[in-house]
Amino acid sequence: MLQAMLSSLPSLWRGLLVTIEVAVIVVVTSLLIGVVFGAVMVYGPLLLRLIIRLFSDVVRGIPVLVLIFFVYYGLPVTGLNVNNFAAGVTALVLFSTAQVTEITRGSLQSIHHGQMEAGKAIGLTFPQRLVYVVFPQAMRRFLPPWINSVADAVKGTALLSLVGIVDLMLAIQQVIGRTYEPMPLYILGALIYFVINYSLSLLSRRLEARYAHFRE
Amino acid sequence: MSDPTPDNRPVVRIRGLKKSFGSLTVLDGVDLDVGRGDVVSIIGPSGSGKTTMLRCINALETYDAGSVEIDGVEVGFRTEGGARRRRSERELAPLRAETGMVFQLFYLFPHLTAAENVMLGLRKVRRMGKAEARDVALKWLDRVGLAAKADSLPYQLSGGQQQRVGIARAVAMGPKVLLLDEITSALDPELVGEVLEVVRKLAEDGMTMIMVTHEMAFAREASDRIIFIDQGKVAVAGTPAEVFRGQENERLRAFLSRVSHT
Repeated sequence: MLQAMLSSLPSLWRGLLVTIEVAVIVVVTSLLIGVVFGAVMVYGPLLLRLIIRLFSDVVRGIPVLVLIFFVYYGLPVTGLNVNNFAAGVTALVLFSTAQVTEITRGSLQSIHHGQMEAGKAIGLTFPQRLVYVVFPQAMRRFLPPWINSVADAVKGTALLSLVGIVDLMLAIQQVIGRTYEPMPLYILGALIYFVINYSLSLLSRRLEARYAHFRE
Repeated sequence: MSDPTPDNRPVVRIRGLKKSFGSLTVLDGVDLDVGRGDVVSIIGPSGSGKTTMLRCINALETYDAGSVEIDGVEVGFRTEGGARRRRSERELAPLRAETGMVFQLFYLFPHLTAAENVMLGLRKVRRMGKAEARDVALKWLDRVGLAAKADSLPYQLSGGQQQRVGIARAVAMGPKVLLLDEITSALDPELVGEVLEVVRKLAEDGMTMIMVTHEMAFAREASDRIIFIDQGKVAVAGTPAEVFRGQENERLRAFLSRVSHT
């Protein structure tokens, strides 16, 4: 059995790399788009706000797994031929983007409007007020829920095994298929996911501490 | 300066200022001239439009009709080929830097130290280097008696100290006029004096100021002129002596007797 486990390590490693790759793409892309969407939702014109609101409500109202299948089977129907990797990652990005959008919106709205006015009063332009006044304060409201959403994104990658992407999850299942040793491998898998997310949570505590020096 | 401004032209010139919120008319044709170095107090019942008027002067509020000019420049609108157009947000930023505003609730930036609060506008709007901005900030913090608190964060300061930082933040920008919006209303009574003392010194130094205040004794002592706003109009205007002595206006009389009992 030990022999079988050891020989399975390279394929688990390849699966882990895929998991990490997907997670990084999802987290980075959703952060970039979600922060912009969230800011538009707070400060943008009505039409854009409505469109983003619709996007966010729809995406958050659907289970991630359904979203994955929807993109996987739905995109080819529209004539867009994408492989399972692109479809799966797109679905996860959509989901995470909606989360980040809402987290950003909430963080920005929680900053007292007087802060904007004080920035205006000294002649700061709108972008300057965002960068130097609002964002630094919104950051500490943003970080805790965002780190949660990052952990969700990492765990969510396991669902991509269901559309045949050989991530850590599917790699584990393939090894189980060869060795008939489900429990040790699932425990190993759980441990790996846990280590990733626990490191993230440790990192987040250090990040949050950087924004904890002031009170409102 | 190359600006050929005659010294007698008012720094702030308001004509026929009108502002409504929906069906509620808050300002109904206000006129006001404030000369260089003048200190003008605006008094009046709550809801009379005092704060709205102040906010129109630095474009925190838009106005519907009339004009507000700072040193001859219309604040809310620009005239283009004979047509008045509302100024864009981008045009407003440099204009707002010409007026200082101190808020009732301070609105210090909580993530920045006292010095950084003062430095932000100097760095990003006045484009000063860090060392120069800090020098200017420290000079003004010293003027408001807070040199020792330069590196404190707002939450570490008392209300009176926070408000004095608020004043330093506004005056450090070198505004043409300083607007004070009920700046002692949110303070514990024992902290009011230290803030008014700073305002008094600024007045002595020739700072042009318009203040909305409920501190009648202070308005009387520190102002060159007082205007009483009622129902969106300037009902009474004059020197403190005139305004407090005359009281021909029945509503002013009623207002003064109400505030003197509180």
